[in-house]
Amino acid sequence: MAQEKPDKQLGLLQGTLDLLILKAVSLGPLHGYGVLLRIQQISSDELVIQQGSLYPALYRLEHQGAIVSEWGESDNNRRAKYYKLTRAGRDRLGSETKKWNRMAGVIGAILSATTEEA
Amino acid sequence: MSLRSLAISVLARPCSWFRAVLQRNRLEAEMEAELAHHVESLTADLIRAGQLPAQAARNARISLGAAMVHKEEMRASLGLRWWDELWADLRYGVRILRKSPGFTFIAATSLALAIGANTTIFSVAKQLLYERLDVPNAANLRLLAWTGTRDHVAVHHVWGDWDRLPGGRVTSTAFSYPAFQQLRAQNQVLDDLFAFKRMTMIATIREDGQTVRAEMVSGNYFGALGVLPQLGRVIEPVDDAVPGQGAVAVIGDGMWERVFARSPAVLGQTLKLNDIPFTIVGVAPKGFSGARDVQIADDLFIPLSMQPLVFPRSGSASLFVDSTRWWVNVMGRARAAGNDTTARAALDSQLAAIVRSTMPVRKGEDLPRIDLRDGSRGIFEEQKQYARPMAVLTTLVGLVLLLACANIANLMLARGAQREREMSVRLALGAGRVRILRQMLVESLLLAALGGAGGVVIGYFGRNAIPKMTENAWERTDFHIHFDWKVFTFTAGITILTGLLFGLAPAWAATRAELNHGPNEMSLAATRRRKGAGGKLLVGIQIALSTLLVIGAGLFLRTLVSLSSVEIGFKPDHLLLGEIDPPRNRYPAGKDIALNQRLEQAFAAVPGVESVSPAMDAYVSGNLDATDFLSEGEKLGALKHQEEDYNLVGNQFFSTLKIPILAGRAFGPQDTANSPRVAVINESLARTRFHGQNPIGKRFVTDPHDADGSGVLLGRNSIEIVGICGDTRYVDMRSEPPPQFFLPYVQQPSVSGMIYEIRTAMEAEAIVPGLREVVRQVDPDLALLHIRTQNQQVTADLQQESTFVTLTSGFGLLALLLASVGIYGIMAYSVAIRRNEIGIRLALGAQPGQVRSMILRESTALAGVGIVAGLTAALALTRLVKSMLYGIQPYDPVTLTVGVFTLLAVALAASWIPARRAAAVQPMDALRHD
Repeated sequence: MAQEKPDKQLGLLQGTLDLLILKAVSLGPLHGYGVLLRIQQISSDELVIQQGSLYPALYRLEHQGAIVSEWGESDNNRRAKYYKLTRAGRDRLGSETKKWNRMAGVIGAILSATTEEA
Repeated sequence: MSLRSLAISVLARPCSWFRAVLQRNRLEAEMEAELAHHVESLTADLIRAGQLPAQAARNARISLGAAMVHKEEMRASLGLRWWDELWADLRYGVRILRKSPGFTFIAATSLALAIGANTTIFSVAKQLLYERLDVPNAANLRLLAWTGTRDHVAVHHVWGDWDRLPGGRVTSTAFSYPAFQQLRAQNQVLDDLFAFKRMTMIATIREDGQTVRAEMVSGNYFGALGVLPQLGRVIEPVDDAVPGQGAVAVIGDGMWERVFARSPAVLGQTLKLNDIPFTIVGVAPKGFSGARDVQIADDLFIPLSMQPLVFPRSGSASLFVDSTRWWVNVMGRARAAGNDTTARAALDSQLAAIVRSTMPVRKGEDLPRIDLRDGSRGIFEEQKQYARPMAVLTTLVGLVLLLACANIANLMLARGAQREREMSVRLALGAGRVRILRQMLVESLLLAALGGAGGVVIGYFGRNAIPKMTENAWERTDFHIHFDWKVFTFTAGITILTGLLFGLAPAWAATRAELNHGPNEMSLAATRRRKGAGGKLLVGIQIALSTLLVIGAGLFLRTLVSLSSVEIGFKPDHLLLGEIDPPRNRYPAGKDIALNQRLEQAFAAVPGVESVSPAMDAYVSGNLDATDFLSEGEKLGALKHQEEDYNLVGNQFFSTLKIPILAGRAFGPQDTANSPRVAVINESLARTRFHGQNPIGKRFVTDPHDADGSGVLLGRNSIEIVGICGDTRYVDMRSEPPPQFFLPYVQQPSVSGMIYEIRTAMEAEAIVPGLREVVRQVDPDLALLHIRTQNQQVTADLQQESTFVTLTSGFGLLALLLASVGIYGIMAYSVAIRRNEIGIRLALGAQPGQVRSMILRESTALAGVGIVAGLTAALALTRLVKSMLYGIQPYDPVTLTVGVFTLLAVALAASWIPARRAAAVQPMDALRHD
């Protein structure tokens, strides 16, 4: 895709973001802000997620049937929309995780090989 | 992925999309609430981290970013974007259409008329030509027919349909009863064969007599068709087993409703058919019209075995054993594994053997060959009657639609020029071409939808207009066109098609608007060249189409005029017709003659009646009787045409109809049952059969029966020709007067029902009560039926032609109207855009008159090109309708000339206002204008 540079980064982030959201929600139902917090918490604040792209990603995943939402009470007694993984979402999380691990392994191997030969 | 999660992911998107579209308000509120919750939570966390509340709230909002952008992306995630854009396009389109109500009105009305006309014609064509019998698996019904060489086929007596085929062959669906029975017994290629014959009978129900269509059916008819009764039982094989027995009747749904008010007590009631009592045993299901016809339903069904009682044939072999009279229709069902070609071949060889063994085949005669037809529409007489006219109408009405489309495309193109600025701005602001193309298409589809809605309304109310135009005052017709979902689908489809047709050109033009020249100047020269050319092409097409339609309408109009003014051969004015149909069991041979003599005298005595004569056939009524005519010494030869048309008439016939006697004498009181047999022949017969010799005094013999087996019995002794009369039309207005001979009915052993021709100066309404009273006095059980004037009969005969003229002229007028709007539009646009140029011309000394004629010259040139194109198309196409014309050639010079001048006049008239406007341009205004 011949797009501008920022879009390229966004595109890269998008696939990853979906995976991270699925993982975060797989640990228990969360509202949007909760997803953000959990990812930051797990990654020990190393990964900062663009807050703006979080909600479109959540809506996209729900549209695709990977997660479902339900309104409920939040910790501060406010109404909040909670997302929960569906069966299809769990299948997808499994297959995408496998794919990600393979990809990471392959890229890691390539990168280390390059260093050795250089 | 498991199957279940696959199903979820496939279904998830459409479900989520519909939820989003249907609960849009809730969705928007939820998005708002969700983002608000995010900001609140974040703010709370920031405060907890030590920020001041005001600053925390601000930072929270900043880190989330613009809520509006997020919401837009969230909507995009749900696939709502194209939907929202479509809505926006629709709202914008509505606004645009409302801003120019005049344009919208003209466009929508012309579209509504065109789509409505198409819907109407489609409804009628669909029902007449495509509807099937309402029986299970109608598609595998096969109708048996045969073909043979005209005049040479061994079958001489056909009572039923008989049509000429190209190549000197004829075809019919009538079979002899013995042939049917043997075919049925030998048949191994079709499922059980069944037979039927429709007859018009007098039904007497609770003392009330009425004409009904009765179908005499073989015992296996209902079983083979798979039709179950809605009440009681159907006719069974046992009912049809013994000739003369089985007096049971199954009535149709229409009759049950009309006569018995759907009462279940109808079972077991008695009705009389031609004075023979029948017991009603069942009611056929609603929608079942009989196997014969889809459009015209049978009123009731009786076993074929009752034929000898209902239609007694005096003094001749029963129809059940007579193998020379061909009269019953035969159908069967194709077998699932069968194949029509092998079935046809098998039946063909069987029929050949049957004909050879059961009836005389003279030397030189050929055997009838089986033709297996699609039986799913019954005998399908509609095809030969309506297929061609409907094809012509469909084409013409399609052209009208095309014209309306061209018109709107033209209007939109002209308007597009005004909107060029808007398009350039939108393109400049970053709108995609596809987006603009789509918006233009949405606008045209919106306009098309307006037209389509109007079209549905016109189609709904107009659908019965055509059947109404073709019915006559004295016969009951229950032919109604229904409006169903197929018609609706057709209209919807045609609406979308038109929207695309007239929307594409303007949409294409709109996206071609250049970015740079739109906003800053009107770039007159550039737009004029491009748009003007497109518009002129469309107007040229419009004029060509109108020329075609006007010439077509003109040809049919001239045909109707020539048909109405043909020399009919007698004086149809002040001539009243009424039929008497005496039941044959009460009026057997001899008694029926006496009855007619009594009636003839009684009618003559009614005040106001100038003269009266019964006749076997009324002229121009679609009826025809013919029989062998053998001059003395002549033998029946296989290869000669020896059958002639004839009529049985009263002694006052020639004076009543005012048919001139050219030589010899007319019939008179001296011609009685006991006097020597006499005949009058017409001029054509004298010419074709006596070749210049004087026929008067010559003798001839006829076949005792006429060809249609209706029960008329002629004498066997030879007949002397005593007079020659002028030629008259016989079966209809279109056919040339045939050779014909006349016999006095009083000299024949038996006649069937007669038609009384009554010459009177009085109005029909005034004299009919007196005539009815006379009939009542002679026999209270008889009635004078189908009363009409001879002129009404002529009008009825020309009904199809006049319906055609009404419709095609309507289309022609509509075409002219649309074309004149088109011409006006393009010339007005051209003048408006050339104000500058015209101003300069005037300033340089051109006279207003010169400017006016310049504009008129341009429109005439445009019209000329269109007319030439239309004329060329007309010359090519009108040849196809040659068989529908009468008295003129397809290239009829009068029609062509009038058509051309009409179009020229319309073109000039339509461009008159723009031309005057151009001449009135003030040079200074025009130059200051831009």
